[in-house]
Amino acid sequence: MNAPDRYERFVVPEGTKKVSYERDTKIVNAASFTIEREDHTIGNILRMQLHRDPNVLFAGYKLPHPLQYKIIVRIHTTSQSSPTQAYNQAIDDLDKELQHLKKAFESGFMLLQSVVEEERRKNKKIIWFKTQEHDALCAVL
Amino acid sequence: GGGGGGGGGASYQRFPKVRIRELRDEYAKFELRETDASVANALRRVMLAEVPTVAIDLVEVEVNSSVLNDEFIAHRLGLVPLTSDAAMAMRFSRDCDACDGDGQCEYCSVEFHLAVRCDADQTLDVTSADLRSTDPKVCPVDVARALDADPTSYDSTAADQRGIIIVKLRRGQELRLRAIARKGIGKDHAKWSPAATVTFMYEPSIHINEEMMETLTLEEKSSWVESSPTKVFDIDPNTQQVVVIDPEAYTYDDEVIKKAEAMGKPGLVEIYPKEDSFIFTVESTGAIKASQLVINAIEVLRQKLDAVRLQEDTDLGELSAHLHGGG
Ligand SMILES: [Zn+2]
Repeated sequence: MNAPDRYERFVVPEGTKKVSYERDTKIVNAASFTIEREDHTIGNILRMQLHRDPNVLFAGYKLPHPLQYKIIVRIHTTSQSSPTQAYNQAIDDLDKELQHLKKAFESGFMLLQSVVEEERRKNKKIIWFKTQEHDALCAVL
Repeated sequence: GGGGGGGGGASYQRFPKVRIRELRDEYAKFELRETDASVANALRRVMLAEVPTVAIDLVEVEVNSSVLNDEFIAHRLGLVPLTSDAAMAMRFSRDCDACDGDGQCEYCSVEFHLAVRCDADQTLDVTSADLRSTDPKVCPVDVARALDADPTSYDSTAADQRGIIIVKLRRGQELRLRAIARKGIGKDHAKWSPAATVTFMYEPSIHINEEMMETLTLEEKSSWVESSPTKVFDIDPNTQQVVVIDPEAYTYDDEVIKKAEAMGKPGLVEIYPKEDSFIFTVESTGAIKASQLVINAIEVLRQKLDAVRLQEDTDLGELSAHLHGGG
């Protein structure tokens, strides 16, 4: 009866910020980002993308507790960059990678489907074929 | 303070490559290269738990004299996969302002009706085919598939087009209800997951030390080949050489490596996973096509990333912290 609503796991409560940011008091160019209602999906891709940035000295994330629906991303950079700059850059780069990936999938799927449609018009049976660009086997009922 | 959308910073972006191997409406197999496991795993996780679909979420029972209780039937109805091509564009009921989160308007929900009564001596099956949708875009996937194949000959009582059984009625029993289907994600409840399975594996790279292999007799070769629980290697009948016939059958079980050591031939084979190459299999429940599932997952992941961008006021917070001596 008093169970919390299931959506509490992924809906940010009103009045709570999605991302908050706290600078380290002892180390320069170090900060922690608290991201509400996110988990390993975002935490791990952010961390790995940050590792590709040579100005990032440390990047890590933790999910403090499975019932606290937030992650904490910690970033330490050289003086050539800053945690916020590295954080923004990582998101931009991931977004561009995903845009590229989406186009790659769309063109691949479209190519296969158009060949399938053509084959289907010729004979209505199950077909197996290879396309040159994708070298893919494809069957459509 | 850093601020600004990564302005001026160098880009460390990757350009992954895709090769689609097999594609059917409900199944896709493809290679993903030139990215890392974090991206592969994020895609898998989003496909399973965060790509939205439509599923029955509210049931109002008018009459139920069947052997199953109302909750049991409501749960079964929720698990019926519904065609969900419209889901990406739909609203979640909780943030729909057209119905104030009531969840009963055209932007965030689809209404279903079911009314079946058994008046014969034979048991009557109530199935997903008995669900009457108020929106032709959203209906049980098995019904949609049958209609798609041949709209003229659709017969909901035919054995092969019977639909998903919900409950069985005997003479005099009746089930009558109204159901509301809503947009949701697998993270909320598994009934909204569009994925039956999503898996990926590292592509294995297998190197046989040919020189050492040639020191083995044919019997030794064949016992080494047989030591693999899956059929990865074979012996060429003409040359009697050990060849890799199916690298992807390797399950990273290390058996052939242990066998080589036991035979006193350590280093006979080297197998390592290619850290940037993945082989995916995607199986959909039918709610959306497998190809669409992949595309939607990428789009959802982009939306998630966009939501975690630093907002203007976050940057201001940093600035004021700066002005006040770093807090
Ligand atoms: Zn609504």
